[in-house]
Amino acid sequence: MNYKMRCYNCGAHLTEQDFCTNCGVDVKGYKHIVMASNRMYNDGLEKAGVRDLSGAIVSLRECLRLNKNHVDARNLLGLVYFETGEVVAALSEWVISKNIRPNKNMADTYINMVQENQSRLEQINKTIRNYNQALANCQQDGKDMAIIQLKKVLAVNPNFLRARQLLALLYMDAQNYEMAERELKKCLKTDNGSLLTKRYLQETDNMLRPKELAGQDVPEKKAEDSDTIRYINPNHDLVIQPAHIKEPKATGSVFNVLLGIAIGVAAAFFLILPARIQAVREETNAELIAVNEQAADKAAQLDELSVQVAELSQKNKELSSQLEQYAGTDGNLELAEKLLTAAQMYLATPDEEGLRTIGRNLMDIQEGADVSTLSDSFQNLFRTLMAVAGPQISDLHYNEGYAAFQEGDFTTAIDSYTQAVFFDATDVETLYQLGNAYRKNDDTENAKKIYQQVIELFPNTDRATRSQQYLNQLG
Amino acid sequence: MIVFEEEIKKFHPCLEVEEVADAIYNQDMTDMADVLVSVVREAKVEAEGKNTDKE
Repeated sequence: MNYKMRCYNCGAHLTEQDFCTNCGVDVKGYKHIVMASNRMYNDGLEKAGVRDLSGAIVSLRECLRLNKNHVDARNLLGLVYFETGEVVAALSEWVISKNIRPNKNMADTYINMVQENQSRLEQINKTIRNYNQALANCQQDGKDMAIIQLKKVLAVNPNFLRARQLLALLYMDAQNYEMAERELKKCLKTDNGSLLTKRYLQETDNMLRPKELAGQDVPEKKAEDSDTIRYINPNHDLVIQPAHIKEPKATGSVFNVLLGIAIGVAAAFFLILPARIQAVREETNAELIAVNEQAADKAAQLDELSVQVAELSQKNKELSSQLEQYAGTDGNLELAEKLLTAAQMYLATPDEEGLRTIGRNLMDIQEGADVSTLSDSFQNLFRTLMAVAGPQISDLHYNEGYAAFQEGDFTTAIDSYTQAVFFDATDVETLYQLGNAYRKNDDTENAKKIYQQVIELFPNTDRATRSQQYLNQLG
Repeated sequence: MIVFEEEIKKFHPCLEVEEVADAIYNQDMTDMADVLVSVVREAKVEAEGKNTDKE
């Protein structure tokens, strides 16, 4: 396309003359510049047509350096920028173009196309920010993070040439030349004229196929290549698989069958047998555990029975002890024997010695057991004896005590008076004399206790008055 | 041989959409036609000056 020339002085259309037919200005040199810019525009257009976008950019920029008012060149440059993902550069060119020619300008359409889809524009702007961030990460040794960010950028804006070239460079730095090559080939699909892409591609080619480059051992390489097929799956992984699958030979069938049997036997030996042994062991262990539990139960029962035996033994001992209290060494009931003996002696009209024996027996019964817990007949006989024989025995002990008191044997006197009081507690004189015996024997405490009993049991008596006097004296 | 540190220097940050205005204002819009017109005008002025001196 040829650019229609206008006079730089008056703006009129120029003719074939070397001067402006309107204002007369010399336009010869100017025409040369405009024609040169037209040639560059045509060159750029041709390169853009075969997707040599880098070459188109160079030509179109040269065109605009010659003639900044070349609207078509500027619009085309914007389109080329847009195609390589450089949205801001594209918008710049289109805005300037529209400023040069406000009406009937394709830039209008392009700008509207971009501005109408605000979400897409925002998305693209985000990819630009991510690219910048990835570039910063590369410079700060965050290459892994940069690769992730660039993958995201290219998922949204696949034609972003700079981002893809940077991703390829990162793959090359990580010595992942297969992935780098794949990205660079995509770069070539977008722009097949980029020198940077071609240089990186040459480097990856050198690293991936060094032998081919050196011209050495090519047949071996081909043989290796013929054995495998390489491709990249949708997850971006390089897959290498055998090119040919060998058909099984008939002669190997027998060997395969034997091998299968051997493997089966080995599996039975190494897998099934250990499992069976393990099962038997588990069964035995379970039985052992059950037996142990039963043994533990038996042991617990044995302990319980032992405790019961100990308790019963203790009880038996106590009962035996109680029985011994009642029974004599010859097996007769000792207390009953004593009571019966005392009753028999009393019925036989006892002398002084007999009364003493009756007294000893009755005292033994009183001291040996709680009479109220014994049988009714025993209690009745005991009380009857105490009532009929008690005063006589008491008199006997009183006399003994009195004699001992007179002789100054206060200990014997105390013993005798105590027995006399036991057999007849109704006699105030006996109790009073017991108090005197204690006092004379210097047992002040017991003396005071006895005097107090005299005062309480026999109030308003002469002995009570004397007891009070002695109490006052003893303090 | 590609050296990563050298290659990374060749990559520059992209301008964001908000920076379009800055990109436009910072463009050098002078072209060869401007240069030519300037040269022609200077030459013309110079020629007119010489003619005035002769008169």
